Amino acid sequence: MTVRSKVATMVGRSTYFVLHNVLHRAGSALPGKLATKLDPDVMSQLAQDYDVILVTGTNGKTLTTALTARVLSEKYETVITNPSGSNMMQGITGTMLTARIPKNSHQRPLALLEVDEANVEAVAKQLKPIAFVLTNIFRDQLDRYGEIYTTYEKILKGIRLFPEATLIINADSPIFMRGNLPNPKVYYGFNHEPAQGDMHAPHNTDGILSPSDNSVLHYHFITYGNQGDYFSVTDEFKRPQLTYAVTKLNKLTPTFSNFDIDGQTLQIEIGGLYNIYNALAAYAVGRFMGVTVDQIRHAFESNAQVFGRQEAVQVGDKDVTIVLIKNPVGANQVIDMMKTDEQPFSLLALLNANYADGIDTSWIWDTDFESLHDSQLQAVATGGERYKDLYVRLKMAGYPDQAVYPDLKKIVSAIEAMPTKHVYIAATYTAMLQLRSQLQEAGFIKATGMEA
Amino acid sequence: MAKYQINVAHLYGDLMNTYGDYGNIVALGYYAQQLDVALNTTLVSLENDFEENKYDFVLFGGGQDYEEQVVSADLPNKAPAIKRYIEAGGPLLGVCGGFQLLGQYFLLADGSRVEGIHAMDHYTLNQPDDRFIGNIEIKDPTNGDIYHGFENHQGRTFLDDKERPLGQVLKGHGNNGEDGGEGLVYKNVYGTYFHGPIFTRNGNLTLRVLETILKRRYPEVAWADQIAKIEPEYF
Ligand SMILES: [Zn+2]
Repeated sequence: MTVRSKVATMVGRSTYFVLHNVLHRAGSALPGKLATKLDPDVMSQLAQDYDVILVTGTNGKTLTTALTARVLSEKYETVITNPSGSNMMQGITGTMLTARIPKNSHQRPLALLEVDEANVEAVAKQLKPIAFVLTNIFRDQLDRYGEIYTTYEKILKGIRLFPEATLIINADSPIFMRGNLPNPKVYYGFNHEPAQGDMHAPHNTDGILSPSDNSVLHYHFITYGNQGDYFSVTDEFKRPQLTYAVTKLNKLTPTFSNFDIDGQTLQIEIGGLYNIYNALAAYAVGRFMGVTVDQIRHAFESNAQVFGRQEAVQVGDKDVTIVLIKNPVGANQVIDMMKTDEQPFSLLALLNANYADGIDTSWIWDTDFESLHDSQLQAVATGGERYKDLYVRLKMAGYPDQAVYPDLKKIVSAIEAMPTKHVYIAATYTAMLQLRSQLQEAGFIKATGMEA
Repeated sequence: MAKYQINVAHLYGDLMNTYGDYGNIVALGYYAQQLDVALNTTLVSLENDFEENKYDFVLFGGGQDYEEQVVSADLPNKAPAIKRYIEAGGPLLGVCGGFQLLGQYFLLADGSRVEGIHAMDHYTLNQPDDRFIGNIEIKDPTNGDIYHGFENHQGRTFLDDKERPLGQVLKGHGNNGEDGGEGLVYKNVYGTYFHGPIFTRNGNLTLRVLETILKRRYPEVAWADQIAKIEPEYF
């Protein structure tokens, strides 16, 4: 390490120490900022001690990273990883700065890092990864300029710097077949149905053009969104042979999923097909790094707490499940999860349109609320600053009788007024914060919790 | 089975599908159902011909730059039929990219030119480092109605003298941020930059378009009286 990097590392570490141990503040951006200012190359110096794996994509990277870290920890003594949200350059530098390598470690330590799509090139340049994990690319309404192909181009710029790095790819997502990359590849995906069907994705699906000739892809089956076993009818293009595959879905519920990967039964303590993709990615990385199936199963079983996104709260005699919604692909996955609920339930949907929610509410029309008619849903209510948009959306979806709660101060009585014991609350980001502060005030949850 | 049927073409619905444009069909169906009218929606995309006599309404939504270029390359196959449909008074709603592609051409942010079908003569320039984003309100000069929506576009569209804007901008940017117009009306074609989507938030407009559709298809029925009884959603 150069003298300059040593100084930068020291400054970064002491800033972290003061923030963390003296001021008791979390966060890793400031130490990274200071250290980078003193030495722009500090991260590449720090990274020399690690085998680095980068995880990127628009959805699922946080959970995939968390779960993969648990899987890798079954075999590796030191696995450092960045906390959720710290996925830009400075946050990652902070993570590298504050990590310590045990003195008598006989293994080379691993750094498993979640990277924002737009930062892949800059981060990769410094960290020289041995592998990239690609989860998926969906259009996010928050990212106004983000088109899926330009997002993927940004990721490609990072990958192209390292043609020897292994790509661990969600092969069910056709966009990742673009770019003609020479890298060694590990493909993961779903093979839970025979490759016999011939269908198109629903109209409202992004990213359904064949990478070979821009014809519309056909599918043998679709898991969700534009993901599945795709093929072209105009040429030879098709999904590649999978290295690791979900071979069977045994039981899907809102609170756990039981499935087979390559014939081996595994379980995760959270619902939602998208979480099975996250688990499959963790499995693929684990197997690539030599973790055994039994160790992976152990990691999945013993780490229920990584699945923090979906929160269960008791409000009086109601069992409340709180879920975040922010874009159509995510909201449709929440709906699909609710459809696996065998008990009667109600839905309280809360919509705000502040910057952190996405100021355009149009996405609710791309969300398939109509499909909830095939579920145990008994009652619908809407709330939040933009309750009217949701009210009309749900009315036009065939739910004419809805209570409305423009003011979330009345949310506790809204929950109590729902006719079923189980109530789902689906809320956008700032509506979720307002909801949580009401639940805190009423004493149903503790004051800590969701990070801003 | 509903008493009446109308056929809707969702033009390139699998490629031009950003920002909830599909909601326009949901809204149309919601009001139609109250008149005992069922909507039969067909996706008309790269692999299909557009048969102009089959449809009573066409939705042509907006897409991402990449898909819009693929659609532009395919459009010459369908353009003659779309033009015949428009000239015959066929009702059509073009949103964002769909609105732009009905005209002469549009420029992407990087300056590359994407060819439209020249059904009408409006054209769309770019604004390399900016976008018009935000809530928008316009006033329809023909009836004084105020329409609400959300605009999000890079392109600046300029109308030809045969076209008139759908409304005058009260709040927001509109077609180009210069002439105070938003959208276009030509025969029974409506163009707009409104997301929201426009038919979900502006029930009066939706019911007027629905009336046009139904009068063309079932001229013997007294639609106006029945439509007057429907409560339009407006927000
Ligand atoms: Zn096809």
